Amino acid sequence: MELFNLAWKNLWRSRRRTLITLAALSFSLMLIQAFHNLSYGVYSAMIDSGVRAGTGHLVVFRQDYLKTRDEKLSFNPHDLAGEIGQIDGVEAVLPRLYLPGLAQSSRESRGILLTGVVPAVERQVNPFLRGLPDDQWLTSLEGREAILGHLLLKELQLKKGNKFVVTLQHRSGELVSEMFRVHGVIKTGIKSVDKRLLMVGHNRAAAMVGNPDDIHELAIVLEDQDLNYLVLPQLQELLKPHSTLEGMSWERAMPNLYNAIRLDYASQKFIFVIMMLIVTIGVINTLLMSVMERFREFGIILAVGASTARLRILVFIEALLLGLVSMVIGSSLGSLATWYLQVVGIDMRNFISETLEFGGVVFDPIMRAGWDLPWMGKISVYLLILSLLAAVYPAVKAGRISPAAAIRHH
Amino acid sequence: MALIELKSVTKIYPLGNQEVVAVDDFSLSIEAGEFSVFAGPSGSGKTTLLNMIGCLDQPTRGEIWLEGQEIGHADQKMLSELRLRNIGFIFQSYNLIPVLTAAENAEFTLMLQRVDKRERRERVTDLFSLLGLDGLENRKPSDLSGGQQQRVAIARAMASEPTVVLADEPTASLDSHASEELLALMQRLNQEQGATFIFSSHDPLVISHGKRVVRLHDGHLESDQ
Ligand SMILES: Nc1ncnc2c1ncn2[C@@H]1O[C@H](COP(=O)(O)OP(=O)(O)OP(=O)(O)O)[C@@H](O)[C@H]1O
Ligand SMILES: [Mg+2]
Repeated sequence: MELFNLAWKNLWRSRRRTLITLAALSFSLMLIQAFHNLSYGVYSAMIDSGVRAGTGHLVVFRQDYLKTRDEKLSFNPHDLAGEIGQIDGVEAVLPRLYLPGLAQSSRESRGILLTGVVPAVERQVNPFLRGLPDDQWLTSLEGREAILGHLLLKELQLKKGNKFVVTLQHRSGELVSEMFRVHGVIKTGIKSVDKRLLMVGHNRAAAMVGNPDDIHELAIVLEDQDLNYLVLPQLQELLKPHSTLEGMSWERAMPNLYNAIRLDYASQKFIFVIMMLIVTIGVINTLLMSVMERFREFGIILAVGASTARLRILVFIEALLLGLVSMVIGSSLGSLATWYLQVVGIDMRNFISETLEFGGVVFDPIMRAGWDLPWMGKISVYLLILSLLAAVYPAVKAGRISPAAAIRHH
Repeated sequence: MALIELKSVTKIYPLGNQEVVAVDDFSLSIEAGEFSVFAGPSGSGKTTLLNMIGCLDQPTRGEIWLEGQEIGHADQKMLSELRLRNIGFIFQSYNLIPVLTAAENAEFTLMLQRVDKRERRERVTDLFSLLGLDGLENRKPSDLSGGQQQRVAIARAMASEPTVVLADEPTASLDSHASEELLALMQRLNQEQGATFIFSSHDPLVISHGKRVVRLHDGHLESDQ
């Protein structure tokens, strides 16, 4: 206890030096926490909109469908959707059918992806439909109403209410065509989607290929993305009797998004590591200087009976206190910055005019931080450990002082 | 057996590729309760001897016995333990830890011995009044005169009731008045509390206070009265 008292007083001997070191430590902790939380918030938003428009947090496919995207690999979910819906933490289960085909207006034709959905569920979950007025949404599973990407609409030179023909391959191999009517238009900001998306009621699409009950994807949206690891095993348990089906999480189902985030975060992590290293070198310097300055004093302390171990502990306690204070100040500042970045955010529209696409997902133009509290705690502890590691060399130096020599020289 | 016994102690310091014989084949015994002074010119080996008795340094050859224990060949851990329990040190100047108050400095060895706070305070308060330091408990060393600082150092050395108090030129940085005062206090502690003192000096006035004067020259014992 007394050693803590002495260490604390020692820290304030060279007030300016200690303040500068504390500022460096706290400021980097703040920056690291704030930037991490900003990324965390942005990635979470991306993942959220990515999974809702895409495969869900968890997804069920027929085996190999993910790899081949062969529309023949469809399956009949029977009451699987209902069973999955019973699992705790599941917000929605979305059956979807994906059929590549051709859309023809009287003037143009374009390749499309006919997507059969269950309108009631899809409406609540899919962020692509956020901007769509209610009167433009599909009213039934069987109707001839279609929702088109805005670029597709333009290229086909269609207007709302116009009729057009969709042609695709029946499971028997024959080509089948059916007429649809433009009912709604969506603008997702993702070119490939806006150019190819054609959303219709599931049953109408399924009937065209001759598998009226089949789907390609059962997208499962969870209440919280962290529930992933709890729900996945339960899902896999449910799928056991269905040997041709497989369940997986979005990281596997949407590798583009996952890898884009990982790569982006990796470069940030690299900067964090460099920052921490630079700060650590600063701490080593501070501690070493303060040890060297107290050469004679340490000699006296040893002479009056302190063991070298206790002297080393004193240096470690000084580092510990330095780390603890920085941890508190840095985390407070980091929380303040996170709070600001969450409430106010950074409006990217000041920097770029177009919508931003990242890993197949549209960016919210206002980047907002999220609270990753466990990570904030973890990084604070790392900082503390680094401060202690920075004390190793100075402490060894202090432990090597020969009291007789230290007292003679002064 | 004497409290301290030096038997044919030689200390050789390496200096570049030469050797300095700081203490040469030196024998001496000191009894409990003595008030002895090591006298001699600069470089005669006073500090070297005190450091060896005080377990700060070890002889190249010979034996040093402290309370029946040979300390000339003890390991570092043992030496620091001996310094803590058996030795009180007073140096020429800058004895004190500048960030601690006078009382905290005086309590320092007791703190290292894990004596509890109340007892520490009690002992130090007694010593402070004995040493005329009343009311200075909470002063920082920088706010004390040289004489007061040395008295705090005496309090620290005495607080743990060591076997022997070693003072290496304790008055060297004091004026003659403060020196007299300090020596008088040391004498009082020696008489009233029976503390064993060994101090060193090259100042004849200071030396004259010693009950026993051990004169050194070039690491040799010159006289012992
Ligand atoms: N660490 C060392 N390395 C080399 N030589 C040393 C060392 N310490 C002391 N000496 C030498 O040993 C001899 C005795 O030194 P010591 O300090 O014991 O003398 P002293 O009587 O205390 O002198 P002073 O009155 O100047 O303090 C001197 O010649 C000194 O130069
Ligand atoms: Mg000397």
